[in-house]
Order: sequence, then structure tokens, then C-alpha cells
Amino acid sequence: MISAKPLESPRSSFTLQQEGVIAVAIVALSAIVSLINPDFLSANNLLDIAVNTAYIAVAAAGMTMVIVSGNIDISVGSMLGVCATIAGELARNGVPVPIAFAAAVLAGGALGAVNGLLVAYARIPAIVVTLGMLSILRGGLILVTQGRWIESLPEAFFFSQRSTLGIPNPIWVMVLVSVLTWLFMKYHRLGRAIYAVGGNAEAARLAGINPKRIYLFVFIMNGLLVGLAAVLYASRFTAIQSNAGQGFELAVISGTVVGGVSILGGVGSVMGALLGSLLISQIGTAAIFLKVSPFWLQAVQGGLILLTVLVDVLRRRRMT
Amino acid sequence: MTSKTSSAVTFLPSRLQSMLRTQEGVLLVLLVVIVVALSLLSDRFLTVNNLLNQTRLLTETALLALPMTLIIISGGIDLSVGSMLAWSAVMLGFSWQLLGLPLPLAVLVCLLTGVVGGAINGLLIAYVRVPPLIATLATLAIYRGFSFGISQARSARGFPEEFAFWGQGQIGPFPTQFVILAALIVAAHLLLSRTGFGRWVYAIGNNELAARYSGIPVERVKFTLYTLSGLMAGLAAFIFTSRVTTTRADAATGLELDVIAAVVLGGTSIFGGSGSIIGTVLGLVIITLLRNGLLLTGVKGDATFMVIGIVLILAVLVNNLVRRR
Amino acid sequence: MKPTALNRTLALLAFASIVVAACAAPPPAAPQQPQQPAQPQEAAQQPAEQLPPGWKAGIPKNPPDRKGKKLVIRDVPKLIGIGYFAATTRGMEEAAAELGNIDFKTDAPTEAKIEKQIEFIDNFITQGVDVILFAANDPVAIAPVLKKALDQGIIVVGYDADAQEDARQFFVNQATFEAIGQALIEDMVSQVGPDAEVAIVTSSLTAPNQNRWIEEMKKYAAAKYPNLKFVVTLPSEEDQQLAFKATQDIMKTYPNVKGVFGLSSVAFPGAADAVKQAGKCGQIAVVGLSTPNQMRPFVKEGCVKSVILWNPIDLGYAAVYAARAIADGELKPGATSLKAGRLGELKVNGSEILLGPPFIFNKDNIDNFDF
Repeated sequence: MISAKPLESPRSSFTLQQEGVIAVAIVALSAIVSLINPDFLSANNLLDIAVNTAYIAVAAAGMTMVIVSGNIDISVGSMLGVCATIAGELARNGVPVPIAFAAAVLAGGALGAVNGLLVAYARIPAIVVTLGMLSILRGGLILVTQGRWIESLPEAFFFSQRSTLGIPNPIWVMVLVSVLTWLFMKYHRLGRAIYAVGGNAEAARLAGINPKRIYLFVFIMNGLLVGLAAVLYASRFTAIQSNAGQGFELAVISGTVVGGVSILGGVGSVMGALLGSLLISQIGTAAIFLKVSPFWLQAVQGGLILLTVLVDVLRRRRMT
Repeated sequence: MTSKTSSAVTFLPSRLQSMLRTQEGVLLVLLVVIVVALSLLSDRFLTVNNLLNQTRLLTETALLALPMTLIIISGGIDLSVGSMLAWSAVMLGFSWQLLGLPLPLAVLVCLLTGVVGGAINGLLIAYVRVPPLIATLATLAIYRGFSFGISQARSARGFPEEFAFWGQGQIGPFPTQFVILAALIVAAHLLLSRTGFGRWVYAIGNNELAARYSGIPVERVKFTLYTLSGLMAGLAAFIFTSRVTTTRADAATGLELDVIAAVVLGGTSIFGGSGSIIGTVLGLVIITLLRNGLLLTGVKGDATFMVIGIVLILAVLVNNLVRRR
Repeated sequence: MKPTALNRTLALLAFASIVVAACAAPPPAAPQQPQQPAQPQEAAQQPAEQLPPGWKAGIPKNPPDRKGKKLVIRDVPKLIGIGYFAATTRGMEEAAAELGNIDFKTDAPTEAKIEKQIEFIDNFITQGVDVILFAANDPVAIAPVLKKALDQGIIVVGYDADAQEDARQFFVNQATFEAIGQALIEDMVSQVGPDAEVAIVTSSLTAPNQNRWIEEMKKYAAAKYPNLKFVVTLPSEEDQQLAFKATQDIMKTYPNVKGVFGLSSVAFPGAADAVKQAGKCGQIAVVGLSTPNQMRPFVKEGCVKSVILWNPIDLGYAAVYAARAIADGELKPGATSLKAGRLGELKVNGSEILLGPPFIFNKDNIDNFDF
């Protein structure tokens, strides 16, 4: 079965416009909501939205790499739970906090490597591998924690609750990760190879790129970033929930695809994913500010997401 | 993919061999192994009653897995099935308890709700050309929101005794829903493997552009598939409501993952173009029997969760190894 | 694609023959209870003279004599993997060990989903257990499968979250909805006064226990503190991140809110964390239901004054004692008390076993509890 996808290049101009639509949507939504409730634009609220999005956006950067390469990872929620638990357990048992954090990130990388090896070298479709992994990790986590939350963490552990230069730490991490992975994917040879493989694996192979190594690479990167997201998540709260991360995969994938990363591979950018994640968080908060009945919250949120997507699809159609 | 295996071979062993090389063959062997192992471990497993009872538990997932197989073969996906089920169920309860419609009419409303939900998906995907994953990700939230909004999170209850027939009753020795499900499995299998429509579905999944050029009404086929998915969600909602005697706005949350797991375990390629109803049914039966059998032998739910994950990966891995040879 | 059609047919045939073979296989362990169709049959077929007037709860059909015999008990809480139900399990294990001669295990879905919970109970019925303990995700949806258990002679006892009364024998009630509702309101009013705006962070909007508590809270407040204004109720779906965010949004959208109720073991710490991290400890009161372990840091810092809850270990403990007493014929319809080990004698009201008034944890006593 040869892929039917036409040859596609990174097409940075296209994705930039895609990001533009999301950015406009964010600004427009802010303007409308602030007309009704001016507090929406308070620095306080904007910072809250950004901090709440940070761990999603960091994982979305990894997810962008995976999806651009033509794969998907739905085990990120379970991975987040496992990595958060590892960081917490180590720190609680007296391991220095930086080492506990590093261990969580590396554990994420290791889990990502398992996913990557199975996808690249055992040639199992990514959705099967990561669906299986979701099950395995979730079951294992409950088996181990038995529902106990991790508490009495050392003060140094609460990285996400602190600020540097007046900006909360999670925002720094989110911006840093997004900018670095964006630059990497746009300008580095390896980053561009991800687009090539995702656009047309066969053509990329003929051009001398080994798709298998790219697959392994993106899954390891994704694992590391999920590990980092887990650190942001775990250090955010006074205690770590034992079944953390349920449904996280949906939030990450939503942010990524709303941000214009094509599920068919080869198209999209980390900036799009970042903006998409921010937009979805903002929609959630906006609906509460507008005092939408809690029973209709989800419908309004889903409707606004669909609206954004529709605007983009129609705009693109008029272009072609 | 498998069409390369020579079809002219007439003697049985090699035919058997080639059968075992398909994902269905691998799954069949796996199923036999699982059934034998579990029946050795628990004397409550391999009984008529237990196996028939399991069909009650898997019906809703199976009903959704049938159109999902076709949709995935066509290169799409439908993530909104769980939400469509809940929305349809809520409409059943709402129109019966709050609007006071007679029950058969309420059931009709339930089915129609599914059709409307599916048709909206179909419109967005086939005609507006929103990628299926994004469209149904959005409607997943919207339909779930409708369920909560319309029901105000209140559940309908107190259905008359005879309504229980569809989800708790029997036709002869068989659970009612098993009979319905069996008929629909056969229908879906025939639709996919014996009709022009089925061939169109494969063609679209293999190469949409080529399918379009060869005159296949791609939009119409896609629209039909997603609408069918909605109809099945409505039917599943009806049977589910009859089984649990109440309608809840949060019913079937996350069911889409169970459905997709069964379909991909069944060997349907997530990239479209290949797959079968038999495979999906085998995949679903394996997952259900594993859950059931492991529990009967005293394995706990969290460990069962892990086993199912491992089986999912192993089944495809084995299939890859067998095919590569 | 043509040859695979043949393969598929073959596969279908083989599959069918397996199913037929499986169905034809004689059921081993012949003297099983004859399986009845799962019709919602009532306890009405029981000899009426055994039942006190007004008894509406269920009765197992033709149960075997279990007096003094080994009991296989399976506990199916709403979900596993949260501290609260880990605590009820601990109490059950403690009781099972004290009583001896009990094979006990807890198993349930990893998310609070009624569909999956039904599947667990159904499989335990097939396994042929003696007792099913449950905390229902939905009182109505769980009823058919519980009635099926009763029909097969299984003892069915609820705790924490009840089912329809006719679908189980007894229910161990941790505290009445009224008592919890009143305790929550009184706790809140003692901190913010009777003329304040308050908001609620609940678990999910469909959670039956939470909805009853909210109902009782509003009813009690309307009668006693008519100026207490409820501005909004937001869901948090047993996710501390969502509870955290909901509370943040409440504080910003409703700047006059003086108090937040956290109505689940996850919603309460999530809400407290949000208030604490916003630096509003002391300005915004957080009141609710949760376990001492999850709330300890907030209580010790003074951000939360008190935590209302029953003792879930005792709740689980009492449920197993009730099951044993039913099996031994000591707890029958019409009984007015239950001897429950270290808990002493518990009052029985109709088909409800009462654990006692809700417990209040505060700075002084919270260190005495570990669950």
C-alpha cells in the first residue's frame, strides 16, 4: 500500500497563516469577553490561563513532532501519571529535587523509546502501540500506588508554584520549550527531516533519510517532553493525585490539531500547537467568565473550537 | 496487502497457512489459546451462560465498532461515538419523561438523534472537508455538552417493565441484543465484502484521489458512513438504556477508545484501505473474554488492564512477524 | 482483495465452530445455581411472613445456608485508585481478618463509570461469590445487575452510595444527606457569616451523592440563612487540576465570593490549593468533604479550618460485619441493631445501617488519622 499523499514540503508560509488564524481567534475572543467582563484581560487572569496551559503546551510540542512525522501518541496521559509519580516518590524519599525531576524526564524518554522502537522497528502502527501502552501504564500505576496520593513533599519540590523575574516558572518553561523545538523543527536538518518523513516517507527514504530513526527520535523527544510536562504538573499542587493525567491525551491532541498540525503528517508547527492549546484553555475560562450555565459549558467550548476550525478550513478553501 | 498470496492454490494445508497469515488468522489462534487457558484456570469461564452473558456486556461497543471499521477503512475516524450515544440516550429519556411522548416515539427520537449527530459529522467531513479527527473531536465535546445541557445532568428513570426486553430480555436462549447484534454483524460483513459500496469504502481508503477519478461518489459514501455511525450510536443508546433502565448524560464517556482498540486489534489499518468486520468482531471478543476470564480467575482489574495492553501490541507484532516471512 | 474474502469466510466458520463448541461443552461443576434470566424480579416471591411490614429492600432468592461458613466477599466501589476507596478497602480487610474465614477482595474500574462497574459485578456473579459489596456510580443503572445477584442467592450490601432500595438488602449509611448538608452549611456560616456569596465545586454534575448534598445544603440554607447566596456550581470530574482551575475561575468571575465548598475528596484539596496559591487564605473560606491525608497540609497551614467526613475505614469495616451478620442469619429484615466489632452496636433503621454523625477533622485531631 503506497501512500496516496502528494509530495509536500514544510510550507512554512501556510502554517504561519494557520497560526495567524488562531492568534486572531485568541485576540477576538479576549476582546469580546472583556467587553462583558473587563477582568478577563487582567494580568492575573492571563497569567493563570498561561500557567494552566503550560504543561499541556509542553507536551503538545512533543506531540507536534510525533504527528508531523505521521504518527500519534495517545499514551501521553498515562505517561504523565507515571512520570509525575516517579518525581514525587523520589523527592518524598529524600532524593534531591533536581535529580527527582531529571529522573521523571528520563523515565519519559525511556517510555517514549519503547513506543518508538515498537513503531519504527517492529512496524506496529503508532495508534496500536500507544493504545496498548496507555492501558499498560495506567494499570501499572494503579497497581503500584493503590490510590495513595503523594504528599509531604519537600518545599523545594514546588517548582511550578514559584516565579522567576515575576513570571511564573511554568510559563518560562513553556515559552522556552516551544521556541527551541520550533527553531529546531524549522532550521535543523533533523527537524526538517521530520517534515520530510511525515510528508512522504518513501520519498524521504529515497532522499537518504532513514524514516525509522526519525520515528524513534520523535517518540523519544515526545517522551522527554511529557516527562517535563509531568514535572510541571506534579510540582504545581500540594499533593500529587495518584491517577493523574486521565484524559490528558485528549487535551494535548486537541491543542495540537486545532493549532493546525495535520493528522496526516508533514504539516504544522509547534507555535500552532502552542496557540491551539492556549486557545482551548482560554475558551474554557471564557465560558465561565460569561457565566454560561455549567450544564452547557462543554457544548459551548466544543462549538467555539469547531468555529475556529471551520473558519480556517473555509479560508484555506478560498485560497485554493 | 494479502492479495499477493496466490489464490490458485487448491490444497487445504496451504490454504490454511495463508489463512493463518491474515490478522484474522492470528487472532483466531490467539482466541483459541485464550479460551483454552482461561477455561483451564476457571471452571466458570467456559459455560453457555457466561459466554451468552458476555454478549450483553459487549453489544454497545460492538454496535459502534461495526461502522467504525468501515470508517477507519475509508481513512477516517469517528471520536464522537460515545458522546452521540449519550446524547441519543438523553433524548430518549427527555422526550419520554419530560415531553411525555409514548415510549416507541421516544425510541424513534433516540435513533433520529443519532442520525442527526452522525449526519452533522458527515456534512462537516464530506462536504466542508474538515479532517475527521478534528471534526469529531469537536463534536465529541459538543454532543456531550448537549447531553448535559438538555438533561441538566438529571437522569430519566422508571421505564416500564416491558421496555427491559431489549437490554435484559431473551429471544429463545439468546439475549435480545445478541440476536440484533448478530444480524447486524452479518449485514455489515456482507455490506463491506459483497457489495459495490464496500468496494468503494476500500477504494477511498486506499487512494481517495484515484477513487474520485474513477467516478466513486466519495462525498456521498463518506456522508453515509458517518450517518450510519450515528444511527448505530442511537441504537446502542436504546439498548443501553433498556439494559441499565436509566439515561445519564455521562454515559459511555471514553467509549471511543474501547471501540477503536477493538477495530485496530482486528487488523483494520488505521491508515485506511484494509480491514474486515470479522477481524473487528474477533478483536472485540478477545478483549471481552480476557476481561471476563481474568476476573473469573481472580486477576484484578488493574492487572487485566495491563494484560489487554500487552495483547493489543503482541497481536499486531505477531501478525507482522508472520507476514514478513 | 478477493482471496481474503475466502479467508474471512473460513475464519468465520472456524470462529463459529469454536463458539458452538464452547456452547456445547457441558458446564463443569454441575451443581451450579440454575441461572435465571436477569429479569427485574421482586422480592415479592418470598414468603411474606418473614418480612416486616414496610420492608422494601431486596432479599436473596433461595440463599444457601452460609451460617458460620467461609464467605467469598467481593467489593466493587465506584472506582479504585483514589484514597477514599483505598480507605474503605482497608476497613474491609481489617474486618475480614478479625472475623476470619473470609476471602475478601476489592476490584472495580479505574474510572467512576457505571458501565464498567456493572461489568465487574456481572462477572462476580458468574464467579459465584457469596457477597457483593458496592458503592453505586448510579442508583438506577446498577439496579438490574444487583437484582440479578439477589436472584442467584448472593448477599448484596451497599455502602457510601446507595442503589434503588429494592436492588440490595442493606445499606451502610455513613451519614445522612441532611446531616452532611447541615454540617457543611454551619461550617461555612461560622467562617463567612450568614450574608455571603458562596460557590460549589462538585465532582461531576451527575454524581448522585453530591447532588443530594447540594440539594440538602440549599434547602437548609434557604430555611435558616436566606441571605447565603449560591452563585455557581462547577464540575471537577475527580481531577485536581480541574478543581483547581474551577476555583481560580470562580474567584475571578465572582469577586464577592467569600466561601467555596469542595464536595469530593479530590475537589476539596484542589479548591484549597487554588485559594492558597492565590494568597487568599483567610479571605476565602474553603469547606468540604475529603480525607484527612489529602487535607492535612491545608489544615496545618490554617488555610482550611476543618474537614467534614465520616471515617471511611469504619464504613468499610461495618459493611463486612453486616455481610457476615446477614450470612449468619443475625441481621434480618426487622433487626434494629448490628454488632460491628470495635464499633460496638450500630443502629439499624429499616434497611439502613447508620454509622453515626459526620466526623469533623481539625488542626487538633487530624494527625490521629491516616487514610
